[in-house]
Amino acid sequence: MVRTLKIRAYETDGQVIVKSVINHPMETGRRKVKKTGKKIPPHFIKEVIVSRNRRIVMEAFWGKSISRNPFLSFQIPGRKGDTITISWLDNRGNTDSASAKVR
Amino acid sequence: MKRRTLLKASLQLGVTGLLFPGIAISAYPTGAFLAKEIPDALREAFGTTDIGESNKIEIDAPHIASDANMVPVRIKSGFENTESISLVVTGNESPFTAYFKLYEEQNFVSTRIRMADTSDLLVIVKADGVLHTNKRPVRVGRNDCGES
Repeated sequence: MVRTLKIRAYETDGQVIVKSVINHPMETGRRKVKKTGKKIPPHFIKEVIVSRNRRIVMEAFWGKSISRNPFLSFQIPGRKGDTITISWLDNRGNTDSASAKVR
Repeated sequence: MKRRTLLKASLQLGVTGLLFPGIAISAYPTGAFLAKEIPDALREAFGTTDIGESNKIEIDAPHIASDANMVPVRIKSGFENTESISLVVTGNESPFTAYFKLYEEQNFVSTRIRMADTSDLLVIVKADGVLHTNKRPVRVGRNDCGES
C-alpha cells in the first residue's frame, strides 16, 4: 500500500509539536472533468484521529473545504520517545494510519 | 527478545490505529457539515447561535491569500480547558469546515483550507463548557497583480 501519511513530532518544554501531511485528493464534488463536463464525485477525509501512546488525544472532523493533501499541525503535552499515531477515514471508507516517535 | 516485543507492540499499534476511525468517541456532525447557512450550521453543531465574542482566540491567516485552495490557518485558543475548536468559512458553499475535539491540555491547531471567495473565518472555541467565538477577514486574491 502506498504510504499516505507523513508525521514529524518533536518536543520542546514538555510540549510535543506534531506536523503531518496526508496524501489525499480531497475532491469537493464541485470540480468537473474539462472534456466531458462531468462532475468528479466527492472524495474527502471525514475523520482524523490522533493518539499518543495508544490514548486518543484529538479527533478532527473535516468537511470538503480542507485543501488537497491536507496539512495538520497541533501541540499536545508529551515527552521524547512517545508514539504519536494518526489515522484517517474518508467518505469512501478508505483508511490508513501511521506512527512516529517523538524526537 | 526485546526486539520481538517491540515488533509485537508496533503491530498491535498498527491494528488499533486502523480500527480507531470505526470506534470514534464522538459522532461525525453531519448536519453541521451539510448546512448551507451559518446559523443552521452553528445550531446543528452546538445547539445555539448565541455565542459571545472573545479576542482571546488568536486566528493566524494571511490578510491576502494568494492561493484560494491552500489558505494556511493557525488557531490558538487562549482559554484553559479548551474542549473543541471549530472553523467556519463564511463564504463557502458549506461553511462548516472543521471540528477539532481535544482531549488533553492543548490549545493549538493548524491546517490548510479552501476559500471560495473573500470572506471571514469564524472560529468557535468551547472551553469549560462555554462557547466563544472570534473572526478574521481573509481576502482571496484571484489576480495578484499589484492590487493594493
